[in-house]
Order: sequence, then C-alpha cells, then structure tokens
Amino acid sequence: MWFIRFIQSSIGKKWVMACSGFFLILFLCSHAAGNATLFSSVALFQAYANQLHSHPLIVSVFSKGLFLVFAIHIVTGSLLFLQNRKARSQGYRIHKRAIKNSQASATMIYSGIILLLFVLLHTYAVSFGNHGTIGATITRLFSSFFVSMFYIISFIGLAIHLSHGFWSMLQTFGINHPTYNSLIQRLSYIIPLFFLLIFGSIPLLFLFGTGQ
Amino acid sequence: MNTKSISLTLEIWRQKDSKSKGDFETYSLENISTGMSFLEMLDVLNETLTGRGLDPVAFDHDCREGICGMCGAVINGIAHGPEPETTLCQLHMRHFNDGDTLVIEPFRSRAFPIHKDLVTDRSALDRIIQAGGYVSVNTGGTPDGNTIPIPSATAELSMDAAACIGCGACIASCPNGAAMLFTGAKISQLSLLPQGQPERKQRAMAMVTTMDKEGFGNCTNERECEAVCPKGISITNIARMNREFVKAAMLG
Repeated sequence: MWFIRFIQSSIGKKWVMACSGFFLILFLCSHAAGNATLFSSVALFQAYANQLHSHPLIVSVFSKGLFLVFAIHIVTGSLLFLQNRKARSQGYRIHKRAIKNSQASATMIYSGIILLLFVLLHTYAVSFGNHGTIGATITRLFSSFFVSMFYIISFIGLAIHLSHGFWSMLQTFGINHPTYNSLIQRLSYIIPLFFLLIFGSIPLLFLFGTGQ
Repeated sequence: MNTKSISLTLEIWRQKDSKSKGDFETYSLENISTGMSFLEMLDVLNETLTGRGLDPVAFDHDCREGICGMCGAVINGIAHGPEPETTLCQLHMRHFNDGDTLVIEPFRSRAFPIHKDLVTDRSALDRIIQAGGYVSVNTGGTPDGNTIPIPSATAELSMDAAACIGCGACIASCPNGAAMLFTGAKISQLSLLPQGQPERKQRAMAMVTTMDKEGFGNCTNERECEAVCPKGISITNIARMNREFVKAAMLG
C-alpha cells in the first residue's frame, strides 16, 4: 500500500514527526487556554474543568486521540534516533559543529525524554487515582517547591524542544520561502516563549501565594 | 600576497584497505608555504613519505580548482576545513597558524565505505543520480535556442541547485549521515525547469527510494550540511524535495 511505503521512507517518517508535532502544538494551545483560567481564580478553573468533564464523550475521544498522537510522535522519534545513530556508525575524533545555535536540534531526543517523563508524572499526578478535585490537586502540588521547580524545568525543556520543532515541522512540510522565512524565524522564538510564559507562570503564581 | 613558512603537526587517518582497521598516525611537516593549497601540503607530505620508502597518504583529487567534487576530508572536525564555501583543494595554508595540529579524517557515513586512508567510496551518490537524475531528450533536428520560456528567477534557482558538485561533505558532516541536501539539490535542479517535467514524479520517488536503500540516515533538519557545503547549496532544496516526494507519493 502506498501509505505504508510512504511512512517507511525517510521523508515519510519526517512527515509523521511533523504532523504529530503539529497536533501536539494544537493540544498545547487548548491546554494553555484552559490553564489561563487559573490567572483569574482556581474556582473559575474548577468550573472550566467541570464543564469539560460534563461531556464525557468529548473527553474520551480527545484523550485517546491525544494518547495516540503522543505514541506516534514518541515511537517514530525513537526509531529515527536509533536509525540515525546506525547511519552515523563511525563518528569523528574531533566532534565539531559548523553551524551555530545547534544545541536544540542536537538534543531533541533528550528534551523529548524529559517531556515524556514530565507527561507521565503530570498525568499520574492530576488524572489518575483519587486526588479530590482538580483545583485542590494543583493547589496542593504547587505548594511544594520541588514539584513547582520540576514543572518549570520541564517547561524550559518544552521551550527548547519547540524552538527546533516548530521550524523543523515547517521545513518538513516544505514551507521554506524567502517571503516567510523571517516571520518563521521570529515565530520559532515567540511560540516556545509564549508557552513557557503561560505554563511556567502557573507554578510561580502558586509558589508566591498569589494563586487562589 | 606575503607568504610565510609554517610548521604543522598532522594526525592523519591511515587505513590499508576497506577491510583493515585504521588508526591515526602523526606526521611533522616543516617549511610549508602559506601559499600552498591543502592538497599541495599533502603532496609535500607524500613526497617525504615516498622518499623515506613509506606508503604515501591516499586522497582523492582531480581538478584542484573546486569544481569537480573529488577532494574532501574532515579537518579538525569540519568537512573541507574551516573556510566556508571552500573545497579542500581551494583551502589555502594561510588559514592555518604556525605550530597548528591538524586532525585529518576521511568523509564518514555508513553509505561511504573507506577504500584507503582518506579515500571513501561515494558511488552511492552515483546510484542516486542513476535512479532519476536525468531528463529524456528526443532525437531529431537541433531545436532553436531559447524556444522554451523560463523565467530568469527560476533558471537562477535551478542553477543554484545545480552548483552541487557531489563531493559528499553534506553527508560527511550530517549528524545522521543523511544525503538529503545532495538528493534535494539534484531533484530541485531538474524539477524547477520545463525540461524536467515529464519525469518529475517518477524522479522524486526513484531518487528518494534509492537514497534510503543506500543506507543514508534520516534528515532531522540540523542544517549542518548547508553550513559545510562548498557550493553554498541551501536547505530550501530539501524543503522542495519534501514537497516533490510527498506530491509524488500521495498523488502518484
């Protein structure tokens, strides 16, 4: 089948990474929008969560779909990492990069592992088990300095991952054009910083006692 | 230009044949004129080695004017050495200082087996070209020049891609050993022009499939290829190849 052959090819796998990455960015947008209610009050956030969970079908479809997209992104990414390590079977004695600012692109697998660890711990902490209401759970979680720090460090990892991921996604889709490249360049700083600001300020809000 | 004489320590990868295990050997060279090219410096080394009855260092070279794509080695971790948009034969010794130690390694990738010392087998690139890097031309009377209208900007883009000399530095420097800049340039140069249209889809499919079969890695957009390319080929060509391949694969 053409689709199997396509996703087995090198460019096909790039596409799978870019498409799943695109859906994950959309998920981040909706998650950030929901979380932004916390800037108003925990009560409003709780009301938003209650409203969301009053539609179990939507929650079920979206959470399963999200799990699938995550799984595809992780499996393909790991496969690419292992295949590429084999293709570069022998390295050089002097390891040097000719391009500047290559830290994010060279460490995608590692920032990805940090994010996976974060996602596992985060869903365990807020979604599974009986922790009481979500508002109470996050108030309790973020009252701990270490938990807050872990969240903030993970969000920095997310920003680094996105700073390469967003541009790389567009390049894979073939979007590389002199008219738009300077905009894309700017967006690959703005988008990661935006998410870092929205997500990162929530633990800070609770840590400094202004969350209520 | 004022030329000086410098002394160098060279650490060169020596490997007897494709089956042997290689290792680095250290050589000292004195009185190297800064007006020499890198390959001329290696010639001087080989003369000394031959004079002492030792095996000279094998390295590829042909035109020595930066247009054939035969030469190439990794100098202190950078393919074709530290100067941007320069092949090894056009790299001059004035870019190095007296007393420098230069580590010289062959272009490496799983798809580039080493023949001997710095000579690598880059025939995988020829097989990518054979798979689709051509246009079919009908026989018949000689057509008039310029009968096919091609916008100047398009011709320039095609020419930018066609500047690729197929040296393999992009693959050698890619952290993934991927050949996407090479294949992207070769697909682009033809798909941009009217003459390349009849085989456009078939070309994209065949060349990418061959590239994957030859054991090159997967591109993860690290841009290292573009930074070392002696002809300044842009990764815009990789983006174009992605579009060409996806169109060919999805829409046949």
